[in-house]
Amino acid sequence: MNNMLKVLLIEDDAIEVMKLNRVISTLKLNHKIIEANNGEDALEILQQKDSLPDIILLDLNMPKINGIEFLGILKNDDNLKYIPTIILTTSNNQKDLLECYKIGVAGYVLKPLKYEDYVSKIESLLAYWSINELIKG
Amino acid sequence: MSQDQVDILKRALDREKKARKAAEKILEEKSRELYLTSQKLENLLDEKSSQLQGVFENIVDAYVVMNLNGHVLKFNEAATRLFGYDVDRDDVNIVNLIYKEDYQYAITCFMDLQANGFFKDYETRIYTKSKEVKWVHVNGSIVYDKNKNPIAAQGIVRDITAEKASEEKLIESENRLSTLILNLDSGIVLEDENRNIVLTNKKFCDLFNIEAQPSDLIGKDCVTSSQKNKVLFKDPAAFIKRMQAIDKAKKIVIGDELEMVDGKILERNYMPITIGEKSKGFLWTFTDVTLKRTYRKSLEVQKQKYYNIIANMNLGLVEVNNNDEILMINQSFTEMSGYSEVEVKGKKAAEIFSAEGGTEIIKEENKKRQKGQSNSYEFTAICKKGKTRHWLISGAPNYNLEGEKIGSIGIHLDITELKELELQKEKLLLKLERSNDELQEYAHIVSHDLKSPLRSIDALVNWLKEDNKGKLDDISLKNFSLIEATLEKMEQLISDVLDYSSIGTDTNIKAEVNLNKLLTDLTTILYIPNHISVKILNQLPVIKGDATKLQQLFQNLISNAVKFIDKEVGLIIIDFEDLKSHYKFIIKDNGIGIDKQFHDKIFKIFHALNKSKDSTGIGLSIVKKIVDLHEGQIWLESEPKVGTTFYFTLKK
Repeated sequence: MNNMLKVLLIEDDAIEVMKLNRVISTLKLNHKIIEANNGEDALEILQQKDSLPDIILLDLNMPKINGIEFLGILKNDDNLKYIPTIILTTSNNQKDLLECYKIGVAGYVLKPLKYEDYVSKIESLLAYWSINELIKG
Repeated sequence: MSQDQVDILKRALDREKKARKAAEKILEEKSRELYLTSQKLENLLDEKSSQLQGVFENIVDAYVVMNLNGHVLKFNEAATRLFGYDVDRDDVNIVNLIYKEDYQYAITCFMDLQANGFFKDYETRIYTKSKEVKWVHVNGSIVYDKNKNPIAAQGIVRDITAEKASEEKLIESENRLSTLILNLDSGIVLEDENRNIVLTNKKFCDLFNIEAQPSDLIGKDCVTSSQKNKVLFKDPAAFIKRMQAIDKAKKIVIGDELEMVDGKILERNYMPITIGEKSKGFLWTFTDVTLKRTYRKSLEVQKQKYYNIIANMNLGLVEVNNNDEILMINQSFTEMSGYSEVEVKGKKAAEIFSAEGGTEIIKEENKKRQKGQSNSYEFTAICKKGKTRHWLISGAPNYNLEGEKIGSIGIHLDITELKELELQKEKLLLKLERSNDELQEYAHIVSHDLKSPLRSIDALVNWLKEDNKGKLDDISLKNFSLIEATLEKMEQLISDVLDYSSIGTDTNIKAEVNLNKLLTDLTTILYIPNHISVKILNQLPVIKGDATKLQQLFQNLISNAVKFIDKEVGLIIIDFEDLKSHYKFIIKDNGIGIDKQFHDKIFKIFHALNKSKDSTGIGLSIVKKIVDLHEGQIWLESEPKVGTTFYFTLKK
């Protein structure tokens, strides 16, 4: 665990947020989770150019701006488009998957039903990104 | 001797002298006379023989003298010319001159000549020196010596080749003429002065319904016949009266018309035939002019008929000239367009009726008409009331009698209602497509929205377990695991419903799918317990289809088999047969089997036979839907407790 990651979690479901936080604390990881309840909030957070997240975990089904729309906005921004964005969703809709990769995502992770499975997936995901060299700042 | 005596003697002597002198004188005269006569006779003979010589020499016809063996002794100039031989140089025998085919006839004639001493009017063919064949006419006779012994034969030979030829021509033309008369389209009767038939033809018999050959009528009396035939005419009395009048006048009559009972109209001509002053008979001709007379009438009727069809047909008709100016419209078009004929006549069709862009269409179509093309096209028209109508126009070029293009004729069918239906259909289809897409999207969202809480519940249950580790009794722990199992079933149900609704809406491109590879992949993905083996009997084909769906199809059936195998050694056999248009697949297991009464029901959605933890009742419905999508069929054979065999076909 070399890198401490600054993770922006964009998720409207409170329990989902709790799940990620719980995984971090259970596994005793020292990554920093920034929470955004929806796309608009996230964009606001991303305005602070001096403290951009290392990676973004993005849910697709959200009110107001949905995940794909958000992704589009992100990839159209000259600064933000470099932030690796991983989709974290329950939707295994082939159309969504294709669309996301088309716009540009760093990963597409399905939320499993079982909590244990979720834990292991998140663990792997964070482990992978923490060994990656990332554009800081 | 006395003087007297002397005197007497003297006188007697004188008398005698005088008498002798007189006799001498007479003799002298006579002999002179005789000389003159013989002189005269001699001249006459000379004259006659030279005259005869001249006759023979200068005779127009050939003169031939031959000995009794046929050897030619003498040819006159004409004979030399005719035969081409010069008898002074050539050795000519008549036998060699006779035409081969006429030889027998020549022999007969020669025998006649020997028997009778002459023959007459012998006509035969001969060869000339140049082997030309000529027709000749010969009169011949035997030449006798003073003792009445035959010594030679002579003949006058006339060249009749030209006559023969013209005779043949005459016969030919006579034949032609009689054939012509026999087959003439007019009935002909030639009668003599006594009104007896000399010649008639087939057409005459036909016209008067006479059941006899024209030749049988020769010699029949026309007066009697006409009395018999008068019943064929509408006015028999007038027919007879007129005939008698014509016969009496014996003047040419042309163009009498006779109406027959059966509706036929005959034209009758009468012509006396005279050669010089002499009457040679009378020629009656009868021609059926019914068609000619009724032609105009029937033309009128036909015209009226078509006019009525055009006027009353439910299709609008417009005739335009080359400048697209309207010449004529029918009643239906008046109703269709709302314009009367007077309002549109002479005006340009495109300008009156075209909606936006219509003028261009008409211009294009008119170009096609100019090229002589016919076709149909749709046209959006504005009728008089300003309403938009859709017309289907069948246009064709119109030609005059000389074959020149003078415009075009268009048949108009109002298809507004059809068109509206079509547009409506298009709209509906579009709407359906959109709502299908929306539904699909909706299904995904719903499934997401339903699945998310399941995840939350599972997480919460886990946390409860974690946070209360050691504090929960066995029953609580068991209940927690029941909650987790229920969540899993719920999850599966949602996934299956989503799958089921997705099939058929996704129009994935069909691709070549190698089923061998697909099944190999599948057996590694699927959970197959150790006691169950899957056997693929034959190399499977490569088929055209949707790979994902085909995988799902096999997956559902195999996992179904796995699920229901209750034997200690499980066996799943996969095989296929190559049918004409389809492939037939067989998936056989030795599981619990399915009772016959459920064979149809199992393919219906939510109809799980065994309510178990991992059975949603959707799996086989999905299978059926995929098979349907590949234009195949699915059925099964099963014996409870023994096993089940599923069969399905997929279109090649």
